[in-house]
This record gives sequence, C-alpha cells and structure tokens, in this order.
Amino acid sequence: MRRRSFIQSIAGLTVVSSFLASCQRQHVIKGSVIGASSHTGHLLRDKNFAAPVAAVEHDIVIVGGGISGLSAARHLHRQGITDMVILDLEKEMGGNAACGSNEVSGYPWGAHYVPIPNNDLTAYTDFMRECGVITSPPEAPLPTYNEYYICFDPEERLYINGQWQEGLIPQFGVPDAEKKQIQAFLDKMQAFRVAKGEDGKDAFAIPLDNSSKDPVFTTLDKLTMKEWLHQQGWTSPYLQWYVNYCTRDDYGTTYDEISAWVGIQYFASRKGKGSNADHHDVLTWPEGNGWLAAHLKKELQSYFKNEALVARIQEEGGKLAIDYFDVKESRLKRINARQCILAVPQFVAGRILHDEARIRKVHQHMQYSPWMVANIRSNALDERTGYTLSWDNVIYNSPSLGYVEATHQQVEQGKKQKNLTYYLPLTGKSPVEERKAAIERTHTEWVKMIVDDLDLVHPDIATNIEEVNVMIWGHAMAKPLPGTAHGTIRQELGASVNDHLHFAHTDLAGNSLFEEAFYQGLTAAQKVMTQLSAKI
Amino acid sequence: MSKKENGAQWLLLTAVFVIATCGLIYELVAGTLASYLLGDSITQFSTIIGVYLFSMGIGSFLSKYFSKNLLAWFIRIELLVGLVGGFSSALLFIMFPLAASFRLILYAIVLITGILVGLEIPLLMRILEKKVEFKELVSRVFTFDYIGALLASLIFPLLLVPHLGLIRTSLFFGILNVGVGWYLAYKFSGEVRQAGLLKVSAIILLLSQLVCFVFSEKIMTYSEAMTYDDNVVYSTSTPYQRIVITKNKHELRLFLNGNLQFSTADEYRYHEALVHPTFSSLSNPEQVLVLGGGDGLAVREILKYPAVKQITLVDLDPAMTKLFSKQRMLTMLNDSSLLNPKVQVHNADAFTWLRNNKTKFDAIVVDFPDPSNFSIGKLYSTTFYQLLKHALRPEGIAVIQSTSPYVAPKSFWCVDTTLRAVGLHTIAYHNYVPSFGEWGYIMATPQEPHQWFSHIPAPLKFLNPTTLQQMLTFPEDMKAHQLLDINKLNNQALVKYFEEEWSKYLER
Repeated sequence: MRRRSFIQSIAGLTVVSSFLASCQRQHVIKGSVIGASSHTGHLLRDKNFAAPVAAVEHDIVIVGGGISGLSAARHLHRQGITDMVILDLEKEMGGNAACGSNEVSGYPWGAHYVPIPNNDLTAYTDFMRECGVITSPPEAPLPTYNEYYICFDPEERLYINGQWQEGLIPQFGVPDAEKKQIQAFLDKMQAFRVAKGEDGKDAFAIPLDNSSKDPVFTTLDKLTMKEWLHQQGWTSPYLQWYVNYCTRDDYGTTYDEISAWVGIQYFASRKGKGSNADHHDVLTWPEGNGWLAAHLKKELQSYFKNEALVARIQEEGGKLAIDYFDVKESRLKRINARQCILAVPQFVAGRILHDEARIRKVHQHMQYSPWMVANIRSNALDERTGYTLSWDNVIYNSPSLGYVEATHQQVEQGKKQKNLTYYLPLTGKSPVEERKAAIERTHTEWVKMIVDDLDLVHPDIATNIEEVNVMIWGHAMAKPLPGTAHGTIRQELGASVNDHLHFAHTDLAGNSLFEEAFYQGLTAAQKVMTQLSAKI
Repeated sequence: MSKKENGAQWLLLTAVFVIATCGLIYELVAGTLASYLLGDSITQFSTIIGVYLFSMGIGSFLSKYFSKNLLAWFIRIELLVGLVGGFSSALLFIMFPLAASFRLILYAIVLITGILVGLEIPLLMRILEKKVEFKELVSRVFTFDYIGALLASLIFPLLLVPHLGLIRTSLFFGILNVGVGWYLAYKFSGEVRQAGLLKVSAIILLLSQLVCFVFSEKIMTYSEAMTYDDNVVYSTSTPYQRIVITKNKHELRLFLNGNLQFSTADEYRYHEALVHPTFSSLSNPEQVLVLGGGDGLAVREILKYPAVKQITLVDLDPAMTKLFSKQRMLTMLNDSSLLNPKVQVHNADAFTWLRNNKTKFDAIVVDFPDPSNFSIGKLYSTTFYQLLKHALRPEGIAVIQSTSPYVAPKSFWCVDTTLRAVGLHTIAYHNYVPSFGEWGYIMATPQEPHQWFSHIPAPLKFLNPTTLQQMLTFPEDMKAHQLLDINKLNNQALVKYFEEEWSKYLER
C-alpha cells in the first residue's frame, strides 16, 4: 500500500462512517407553503376588470372578513340588521386569525393568544362570556376565566447562555448591573401601566383611542423605542434584546423602528384582572385566535361571500356600487349598497377606491411587515438542560420568535406528537425586499431555516419533524412607526367618506391586536347604525 | 526487496494502523461507559488511560518470551483483541447490574486489551526486522500507530457515539480487528502454521460479532432490566411506560418507569388504607369509579362490599390492565378482581374520560402516580377536582392517594388545599407502608356524611376501628406549617412543592 492508497483507505473509512450517518438522516419532511391568496389579491393591483355582469341590492356591505369585519357584522346583526353581505378574498373568513388542523390538534396561522381583557371593555368581555371564556355572570365583582383557556403552567422559557430558564426576561448568566437595568425598565413599565393623563384617561389603553392625549405621554410617539431606551440610559444588551424581542413579537417591527409610545403600550396597556387570572396571564387555544374567530363567525354564516375580490367602489346615485370579482365564476359582479364598511388594510382600501391621494399617503406613511408562520408536527424532541418544555419557547438572539406548543392546553397524558407554531417576522431588510425573498423561497429552504434555528435547542429536530406547513403573510401588519399613533395620519385615513363609507382595520391603530380589531369593527358598526337611523 | 515482500510489509503496517485505531477506541469506549455507569468522568478516564498504557507496557515486556512462529502469534493476538475489545462494552453493560465488583471486570478488560495491543507492536517489528532497515521500520510502525490513534480520537465523539452507540462501536471495531486477522491468515497461509484453523476461528468470531451488532438493542434492554435487586420475572415497554415485575423468595414487586408501585409484602396496608375509610363511611356504595389503579388491587378491596353494583376502572395503559387480568401470578394477587362481572375496564385518559362523563358515582378512588411532572400535575388541579366533584353524588366520597406527608408535607397539604378550593370537604389521613414509608390519603366529599367509618368489613389484614382513628392524627413533622398555594393548571404549584421536597429528601 502506497501513500496514495493509504489516504484512499482513510477516505474510504470516512465515507463509510458518513454513509452510516446519512442513513439516519434520510427522512422526508412533509408539508407545503401556503400564502394568503397573494396571486388573486394582486389582481387588484395589476388587472383592469371589465364591467360587471349583474347587480343586486343590499343595505350593507362589509369588505374583509378579518376580525374587524366580523366584529362589525356581529354588532350589526345584533342590532337587527339582516340585509348584509361580507365579502372576502379567502376561502375562509378570519383574516390573520386563520387556523388549520391535523390529526394531532388545531393550530393557528396567526396569533396564538389574547391577554386577559381589560375589565372596562364591556362589549369585549360580554363576547368572552358568550364564548364561555368568562364563566361568571356580568354582575360578579371580578370575572372568572375558564381554566381550560388560561395558559397552563409552564408558560414561557428562554434558551440563554446554554440553558433554558423560566420566563422570557433574561436572567440566567446576566450580570448584576444589567439585571438592575432590566428591573428599572420593568418598574417603569409598571408605573406606565397605572399612569393616567391630565384628561383622566389611562396613559396607555386598548383600544388605542381610549388612551390619554396628555402630551407628557404622546410625545413618546415622536421617537423610536431604541432612542427612548437610550435617553433613559438603559444600554444593557440583554434588556435591548428583550425589548426588541417584544416589539418584534407583537408588532413585527424592530425596536429601532417602532414608536416608543407603541412599544411601551405593549407593556403598559394590559390591566385586566379576574378572580383567577391577572394581567400577565394569557388566554390560548390550540388553534389560537382562530378559536375566537370561529365564535364570531357562528351566527354570521348566512352573510358570507368568500373568494370575492372587491375590485372597486364608486358613488352612483347616492349609493355605493361595489364591484367584486367572483373567483369561482371568474367574473365581475356588482352590489349596490347604502352603507359600506371597508374592513381591509389601507393599502388595499386605496386600490379599491382608486383614490390616488390615499394610495400616496399610505405609501408615504405606512409600511406593512411580512411574516412567516410555520406549523411543525413533531415527535418528542431532545431537550437541553434547564427548564422544561413550555407553551412559549424562545431562543435568545435568534432571528425567529421561537415557537409556541399548540398542543400545550391538551390535558391528556402521554402525548406522542405535538404541533409547534414557529413565528418569524421578516424584519431583516426592507419589507419589499423581504416580501420578494419570502415568496421565492421553497418549502425545502424554509424547512432548512427552521431546522437550523431550532437545532441549537433540539439537536435531533431534523429527524423528528414529520411535517412542516409554512404560511407567508406578505402584508401581515402595519408597522407602528413614530407618528402613527398620535399623528394626524390615522384620522385622515380613517375618516368616513360621505357618511356611507367607513373604515375598520387595526392598521389604523398601528397594531394587530384582537381587541383593537374587535373595537374597530364595533365603532364602524355604530357609525353605520347612526347613518341608517338618521335616514329612516 | 521483492514486490511481494514489499506488499507484505504494507499489509502488516495497515494492520498496525487498524490495531492502533481499535485499541484506542476500546479504551475510549471503556472510559465513556465507566463515566456513564459510575459517574465522575475525570476519575474514570484518567484511571482507564493509566491502566491501558501500563498494560501496553506489560505487553511489550512479555513480547520477549515469544520466539517462534511470530506471524501466527501476531494473527492470534489480532483475533484475541477483536474478541475481547469487540465484546467489551456489551459485556460491561450486561455485567454492570449483575456483578458486585464491576470495576474489577472493567479494569480486567482494559488490562487484557492493553496487554494484547502492547504485544503486537514489538512482535510486528520483529517480524519485519529482516525485511526493512531499522530506522525505516521504527519510523513507519510508529507513524501508523499514532495516525491510527488520532483517527480514533476524532471519529469516536463525532461519528461513532452519536450514530452507533457504545455497544455497536466496540463491536464494529471488533469486526474490523478480526477481519484484519482473517485477511492476514488468508494472505500468509503459506507461511503460517495452522492457517486453516486461524481462518475458521476468525470467521466464527466475525459471525458472532455480527449477530451481536444486530441485536445490540436487546442487550441494552436486558442490561436495564437487570438493574433491579431481584430477579426480573416480567418486563415490557408500552407507549406510556416501562412495566417491570421482580420477584424474590418473599415478595413480588411492580415498578413503573423504575418507580416502585407495590410490594406484595405490604401492599395490603396501602390498598386497605386507600379504600376502606371511604367505603366504610358510605351506607350504600353502588356506583364506583377507580381512576388509575390498573393493577386491580384497589378493586379487590372494593369488591369486599356487597352493595357495590358496578365498578368502572379507567386506566391509561391497556398493557397494564391486560397484564393484571391475564397473568396467573398477578390475578392470584388481585383475586382476579379485573375479571369480576361488576368491573368495567376503560383504557382511556382519565382527564378526558372524566370530562366526557355523565354518570354520578357514590365513590371515586383516585390512584394516580405522584405529581412528579407537569403532565401528571394536571390530574391534581382545581380543574380536575371540579370534574371529580361533578361526578360525585352529593353524599358520595372521593379518595385521593396524595404522596408522603412525611417526605413532602407541603405537597400533601397542597392537595388538601386544592380539594377545599373547589368546595369539597376533606379528611386527611396517613399510615405506614414499609416499602414506601409514611403515606398519605385525602377523602373529599361535597357534603359531610352522616357517620364516618361505620361499616368496616371484617376481617382485614391491617385496618381496624382503632387504627383508623390513629390514622387521622398528624404529628407536627407531617404538617405544612404555612399557607399553601392552590394547585391550578396555570400555576402548577403542586409540582413545584413536590420537586422541591422530594429532591431534598433523595439528596440525603
């Protein structure tokens, strides 16, 4: 044997070993990439539609079957309105609260939870009572929450400095000086939570419009969260990571972009209290907010018209002519309505109304962040040391937000498979670039990204994942940039047009929260009722 | 030097390389296995490396006593290294639970491997001394030796342990060793005496190691089953747990996931205490629910009440209830209680079953494992006890096994607090079960019964009215002495108490 053949034989051995290794790695991960119907949606931008074929009459048309639209419809329905249509592009109503299911459980495509409602939101808590989330009668001094829906313990953990710790606020391996800054930050947030403005209103409230207009607080809308932290002298990298994690989690926006006022709102607007739950508790279901959406939808089925892309709305003889593209029949139809609620984001509203000024304003002032949400069906995974598998599992310094165990609220023993919902706000580059890159990425590439991220905490994840389904939200939510919350743009874009066209969408509040959507819908419905009763 | 001679030389040097790799692998396997089984990796690795190097020295020393048939000896040693090293980890895994002096076996194996490997290099150098110039010989032999060692130390942690595991790693290298021995015997059959015999023994060895390689999983399982004190008479893995039954002259024991569930020597103390205080306080216990308790021992006690019309037993694991319905040794123990026509067995998750249940019961016996993790902790929560309360008739009674009030007083009284939090009246009591220590139970009822403990069936092996009264008294060290949290699904307070108290106890 000469040197060459000796090297060959070593190489041979390595090949044999890596072959043995690869035998175990040959594992097919099922699944596909789903997108909120971006192809059909973009017809609105790219296509010139022909004239509609037929017209029908309805009192009210709601464009958009997300939570704002459903909430508006629910309130109108409760007011005795029956001549109403809800149009939505998707096959199912629900918007960002969409959900899916497999043999293991349901799982969400959007948010997994809502916080314990603030006690003064009576319309919202009444809805919660109807769904069986609140089990006590309205007159009870404190609402009692259904314990199956309050997030079970263990709730949250963070993988930091080589170990899982309980809770998401960095503690393990954090130097004392930084811990002090983190505590000071949390104390400040607590102070903001109870603070009230000169006008007697809460400094930070949900819905946003219930917040105080006191300039002491509203000036915080003029700078970014990062700038504000800097002003306070809070330079701790652990604290900065935590704040940035929170703003990405709730708003899909990094802390160097988000308005400080909105960033603080995340921490300071939750004030709910129940007899068995507190403001830091959350209500969660395997299918996330899809569970609440299903309750909203229950009594509204007869009004739904799905796969209906609204192409334009025009004034015609004091009425609104609403043209929509029926995707199934592939043709344009018309509804003439007395009142219309546009429960769609403003960038869509501008296109529908063919309102160039609106389109320009939205382009100037608003940005929509893209998200990727993946649902992972997995067998039991290897665990690193530290705290046990929790509902929310976050990795320090990861580009993702970690994952939520969708199956957490199941009470059964010995679960063999779990659904994990993985969240990734695409905040690396500009929304346009990220959106483009996201649409081009294949299923295999997404799976690789997820596996590479989670591999750190679950070394065997590649072999134990059975299925990964990926949802791309091109325009998941509006970014609450400085000036959005307390500037003039929200009023300008949100003002009703000619008393018969009203707007309801969370992008007008710069957040994507369920409660906010619920009240956006409610407020728009009240406007419609005022107009209808005025005309009768 | 002829081409043939040259070929022979390189073949032998390859053998050096394989031996060096294999030798170091065996040493690493022994070190890893010792740290895995005995703990303290620093001590294990340094003593094993020391013994290994020292025994290589012994081998080198002994090499001078070999003077004839060097090549044949070399091949024999090659086969022997393959035999000892290849089977070393399988042997150690099997011996660990069985042998009193495991270390002795461990070091003996390391010693033998070391001596054999130590013999090989000097022998080989003498075989080659007439064929190669001395300075070339020393250079080549040691180069191959050290390269082999490097390769071994790299692939061991990166490829072998994660992908093959310890048993298969050592077998794999045993096979390599023996394979080289066989090839040498085949190649040099002209020069070696009894080459045929060597080849045959090599093939036998190869086959036996291959068989072991395929069945290595079984060896692991066998080794695990041996960790129990007594003879394992039955063991099986179900999707939910590992069931092991052991037996000695006096008693039979059941382990679930390694935790003792009962010993026949004193299980009557546990099951009488679990069942009779509740049933003796009921005037007419007709409908009975047992949650957990797939061993049928609680049911055996319940069947002593003629008023009982129907017993519904809900146990998660079908393997468990099947075992205790079919195995003669076990049905003798529970008096074939699970086969009694009054008994209905449901293999279902207790929480889900109770959530869907519409029947009201006179008595419910809850015999779950201790709340040692968040999953089981759910079965001790207010939400679960609400369901339990809902399934009880107003005058019905539930009893809950509630861990040891001596070891874990906070856990025990947390169960009591939680039951009271859902509006149940409770009575806590305890008794001594030698296999477990001091053990606790809590009775819970929507409304106080007319008369406690009025119908104790006779005769029982442990309980009588006087003992029962004593069981209600708690000495100071079995009280909580603090206000305790209610165990809810969203705080899991009990699991935290339990973890804190039992880990402190087991540290001692």
